[in-house]
Amino acid sequence: MSNIHTKTAFEAIKRSPFQAFSAILVLSLTFFVGTMLAVIVYSSNNLLKYFETRPQVIAFLKNEAKPEEVSALQNKLIMDSRVKDVKYVSKEEALAIYKKATSDNPLLSELVSPDIFPASLEFSLKNLSFAQEIINEVKKEPIVEQVGFTASLGGEATLNDVVSRLRTVSLYVRVGGGVLVGLLAGASFFVLVVIISMRMATRKGEIEILDLIGATPRFIRSPIILEAEIYAAVGVFVGWVTAFLFWLYAAPNIIKYFGEIPVMPTRMLDFLLLFMIILGGEIVIGSLLSLLGSMLAISRARKTR
Amino acid sequence: MIKFKHVSKSFGAIHALGDISFEVGKGEFVYITGPSGAGKTTILNLIIKEYRPDSGEIDFDGADITKLSEKQIPGYRQKIGVVFQDYKLLGERTVRENVEVALAVAGIPEEAWMARVNQVLKLVGLQDRAELFPNQLSGGEIQRASLARALVVNPKLILADEPTGNLDWDTADAIMELLDKINKEGKTVIMATHNVMIVDKFKKRNIKIKAGKIVSKEKLNEQEKTVPHPAPADATAMVGKETSRGKETSKEEVKEGKIEEKKKIKVKVEEV
Repeated sequence: MSNIHTKTAFEAIKRSPFQAFSAILVLSLTFFVGTMLAVIVYSSNNLLKYFETRPQVIAFLKNEAKPEEVSALQNKLIMDSRVKDVKYVSKEEALAIYKKATSDNPLLSELVSPDIFPASLEFSLKNLSFAQEIINEVKKEPIVEQVGFTASLGGEATLNDVVSRLRTVSLYVRVGGGVLVGLLAGASFFVLVVIISMRMATRKGEIEILDLIGATPRFIRSPIILEAEIYAAVGVFVGWVTAFLFWLYAAPNIIKYFGEIPVMPTRMLDFLLLFMIILGGEIVIGSLLSLLGSMLAISRARKTR
Repeated sequence: MIKFKHVSKSFGAIHALGDISFEVGKGEFVYITGPSGAGKTTILNLIIKEYRPDSGEIDFDGADITKLSEKQIPGYRQKIGVVFQDYKLLGERTVRENVEVALAVAGIPEEAWMARVNQVLKLVGLQDRAELFPNQLSGGEIQRASLARALVVNPKLILADEPTGNLDWDTADAIMELLDKINKEGKTVIMATHNVMIVDKFKKRNIKIKAGKIVSKEKLNEQEKTVPHPAPADATAMVGKETSRGKETSKEEVKEGKIEEKKKIKVKVEEV
């Protein structure tokens, strides 16, 4: 019996190709933007997470700090529930980091010795909201010379600035993108409603005949809902494939630009997994969109009969 | 099978039916006759629950159908085969598909469709027109396609609204032969018509109505004077066979274009 509904749905599409084309076009655009936005949100999340979880705080130790005092402070930080990944960086290691950072100019590293670099304790925070209080506490430690944020030795102001900027950008992406996708989804919904209503109007005679020979409302609805589902399926597929090809092309450059910040999956399998998850979500959304749109159009058509 | 008890129906100020009561027994063939606008179609529409009566009760197999809920109506309608006055075939579907739709509506598995559709198309003489669309058929063929759709689900009751209305005598006669055979297989047939010649030729119980009132009705078990040919066990067996009342249409007649419809269904008709 499903064959007769499928056949009816495809015949309706063939009979009005321009209606079908406009529905698919709008849905494709919606799901293209949806896919693009989903990847951008994923990347901005990763970016934020990267900054939130990398070693953010460096406590530079005084030269006179004794190893047991350093060890005591390190253990104290390890025991602190707000802190994670505590690491001791000796003067020699600090020099090595400096040399690596200035490898393009060897003269700079030749002029320095480990003595000028302070040893330090580096750690990250489980939540950046603890940053201020932790920094203040560590500053009070007698063996601590200075406390800073990895991005700058300027201290708390810089830390707040970087994170709040990232959060603002991330919020704009989510809200702005969400509104855009919401508007497009609304447009798609109403285009579907209009097209299905037109289809109901052209099939009015057929529906009346089916009703008279004993067709159930479900029997009458099935090909109409199926038609809307076909539009949604094609729209999702076209939109998703277009966005997928774009990201496939752009990903190498984006990954290279952001360097060690994992804004996008670097392994092909992870990349595909990300897009498969997005596709799954879009299929569900597309299906709901077409189902609700066609149900609304049908209920309106029944009321006007 | 069908019992009308004091049924009235109005459309605004127009009283289509006024307090009518009658009964149709199982396996009967009953005419509802009367002039145009008498209320014949309204009676049929009340039976298929297209309309709801203003008052009164309509029983089908002992149950009052006026009390059926919206959800129960499709299942009830599937028990009735209707040949509509205006055919109501789906214009964008072939004859075969039109008949298949009735099977799909009744929820019959697709595997059974082919055999049943072929059988019923053979019965009505449209087996060679199966793949044509309604606009490619003659009036008689369309009427028979409508009859095939009504019959294919093996309904308990056949309602035929002016099935011979727009047809020439020969084709009308052939349709009546079919309805008669179907009735003799045990189906109840209620036919609305104003064709006096048909009513006179195929003697059946007749309920005459005028201006929404029954003006005369024969009793339920009154012996009808039917056409004197034996009913076959399977109506399909009649296709292509000679009856006691007529002879086979000659090839010469067909070639001359005299009785084209008769050739299509190969039903023997009485000479007129």
